[in-house]
Amino acid sequence: MNRYLLTRLRQSLITLFLVSVVVFAGIRALPGDPALALAGEERSPQALAAIREAYGLNDNIVVQYGRFVGHALTGDLGTSARTGLPVLDSILDALPVTLELAALSLLLAVVLGIGAGVLAAVRRGKATEWLANAIALLGLSVPTFWLGIVLVLAFAIAVPIFAASGYVPFGTDPLDNLRRMVLPAIVLGSGLAAVVMRQTRGAMLDNLSADYVRTARAKGLSRRQVVGGHALRNSLVTVVTVLGLQLGHLISGAVVTEQIFVLPGFGKLTIDAVFTRDYTMLQGVVLCTSAAYILVNLAVDVLYSVIDPRIRLGGAR
Amino acid sequence: MRRTAAFLGVAGLLAGATGCGSLTSAATEVGGDRMTDPRPVRDGGTLTVALKSDPDKLDPSLAQTLVGRTVFAGMCEKLYDTDRTGKVVPQLAAALPKTSDGGRTVTITVRHDLTFSDGTHLDAAAVARSLERHRTLPGSARATELGPLVKAEATGAYTVRIRLKEPYVPLTGVLADRAGMVMSPTALKKYGKNFTNHPSCVGPFKYVERVAGDRIVLAKDPRYYDADKVHLDKVVYKTITDGGVRLANLRSGDIQAGDQMGPVEVQSSLTEKQLQLFTSPSLGYQGLGFNTGNVHGTGQKPGKLDTVFAREPRVREAFELALDRKVINKVVFQDMYEPACGPVSPESAIAPGAADCPGRDLARAKKLLKEAGVTLPVPVELKVSTSPEDSRLGQVIQAMAREADFDVRLRPMEYATLLEETDAGRFDAYVSGWSGRLDPDGNIASFVGTAGAMNTYGISEPAIDRLIAKGRTTADPAARARVYGQLTDRIRDQHALLYLYRQKNYVVARKDVAGLRVYGDGLVRVKDAGYVR
Repeated sequence: MNRYLLTRLRQSLITLFLVSVVVFAGIRALPGDPALALAGEERSPQALAAIREAYGLNDNIVVQYGRFVGHALTGDLGTSARTGLPVLDSILDALPVTLELAALSLLLAVVLGIGAGVLAAVRRGKATEWLANAIALLGLSVPTFWLGIVLVLAFAIAVPIFAASGYVPFGTDPLDNLRRMVLPAIVLGSGLAAVVMRQTRGAMLDNLSADYVRTARAKGLSRRQVVGGHALRNSLVTVVTVLGLQLGHLISGAVVTEQIFVLPGFGKLTIDAVFTRDYTMLQGVVLCTSAAYILVNLAVDVLYSVIDPRIRLGGAR
Repeated sequence: MRRTAAFLGVAGLLAGATGCGSLTSAATEVGGDRMTDPRPVRDGGTLTVALKSDPDKLDPSLAQTLVGRTVFAGMCEKLYDTDRTGKVVPQLAAALPKTSDGGRTVTITVRHDLTFSDGTHLDAAAVARSLERHRTLPGSARATELGPLVKAEATGAYTVRIRLKEPYVPLTGVLADRAGMVMSPTALKKYGKNFTNHPSCVGPFKYVERVAGDRIVLAKDPRYYDADKVHLDKVVYKTITDGGVRLANLRSGDIQAGDQMGPVEVQSSLTEKQLQLFTSPSLGYQGLGFNTGNVHGTGQKPGKLDTVFAREPRVREAFELALDRKVINKVVFQDMYEPACGPVSPESAIAPGAADCPGRDLARAKKLLKEAGVTLPVPVELKVSTSPEDSRLGQVIQAMAREADFDVRLRPMEYATLLEETDAGRFDAYVSGWSGRLDPDGNIASFVGTAGAMNTYGISEPAIDRLIAKGRTTADPAARARVYGQLTDRIRDQHALLYLYRQKNYVVARKDVAGLRVYGDGLVRVKDAGYVR
């Protein structure tokens, strides 16, 4: 077990190193001089030279990379070149916002998508299926930005039951938090809900026509038991796989949603950093995201090996 | 060609028909602009102001953005300020500066009743220390504008003496911006370069917190010398980059004021009963610049560039004659900005007098091209930012120039890339602008002076350089205005930087808010703001 763990840890560290190189080089491959972008309206040669000096932009790229890794290893992600705020603090401020948004959107997608998918499969050929399909198609086709603005106009201005923007932590005021997060969650979750609905419907149709379902019916089980206990349970394997694959899209989709609803999350932090060529902030944000992804994968792999020792043995070879 | 003319004509008519008659009917103050709302306000409440972009460092020495200046207006007062007519008035200073020694020594007296937000008393030593920091701190964005300053020293408890290399008349205007902000010496000693995260100045509000990309929170400062007149408990500055989203938030009441609103949003806001509009003329300009000699990069001595636009002033003049500033303003900006053809805003205290903008003259444009002997159509790549306004402007310029036999290819670019390209001189022409400074020198010297810090166009004309120097040393306002009049003519003769229009500062606010002030510098002043009684 220890050897397997060490092997996986080593692989993760190598991946993390490669990611750091790609992140560092990728950011520097962006067109646009960061000193000019940071200088704003005051672009005197002296100011530009001082910016380049302060952020080590004159140094060789290998030296810059070494400095970046050296600081990152001690947990120092630096300070934002634009605002002077510590990068780690900004990330820790933004993280809960995006996580909550993703969680709520996922919840919405699961509840609506699976519900509508089951209904569409069970009522195949009827108006319900047609309606569910139409709504799913709409969910997939409507641009996020448009949907966001329409929802704000409808539910924050015409019938002001939700807020148009901003974030209040759940711990500070749960009701106000939900008032601000429901619309963004709908916007972000609608596309995913449509995908989940279509996958659920497809899997349900396959399972409902399978032999074991016919057997269950022949044994006299109620419709609810057949649909919920047998067909849906087996269909969920496909749906969960799709959900896992779509999680990345959820996080990247948060970029636009956070812009519309002015949520100070990861997406907004990243976009602002890209446009202002705030290298320090951008490196920190992308590196943290990648590290989190690698850590989660490592944890899952370790968990697999605990559940199924064959994986561990295979890994040891 | 007919189709282009028809397009421009119809667009112009539509823009005219849907124009902003109601804008002028709402005007109540200087020059038809509505700069404040004098209704009485009650004490208490939080005002949320939406900014177009995230401010940079909250350190007056290092800050570089217009939105940052708006936040400073709430918490960092300056030695001097501007009033609604564009005149410089004392703020932390007790009176306007006195000059002696042929303009080489400037004496400033400061008020006696000033306390920083951290409790430190403001005296002449604090002023001198801030000025020296602005001048010498590595990376200071104030170093250029304080370039002629040799030394600032306290000569009494409340008297500061500034010694200059040469007479520098723009200094008062410079001290009415961030260079005139005084920082607490205690905070500077304690935090050093990290002052940006713990700013302490004299202002109606003091810094509370900042969350990157989201908000900056200020709270009423009880130590402020005029605290009795400050009504709000808190001011929150939120970053909302999209104008449509800013407007939606104004409608829903999630924010109370929206800064730098565009013509489209302003038109929409005029139909809303719960919203009101503040306007002021801008001190800046927007235009189009040609590369006439930027071969070594901005800030370097210009060289010889082998392009038709660099070689032939007649081609540049022909391009200018192809443009109709009034139609551009109508089609692109719904007639909500002002056509312009010079660097100095008529609102400036040293305005040289309104210049007659050249009208559209296709016949003359074609004649000039013929005289220049260039192959038609003349190709030109016009770089524009990816903003919707710049894209529309580029398309209209393209359509107009086509009629004078120019083949304009538009090249939209993300802003940081555009900056790099133009700074390095990799462009034929680009859409260029400046937010403006109180003193005309701030709109001219860096842009058209030889090797100026922002002279991306590679302009180098000894007569212009001489007039810039003369403008800096001429103290008499009337004589200075004449100098800037001559300077404007000289710059226009170059046809290298075509001034096209002047934006207006539009701030939309909820109707239950009064006391906001929006002057020519475009800052949203919140000192007197509050919720109406």
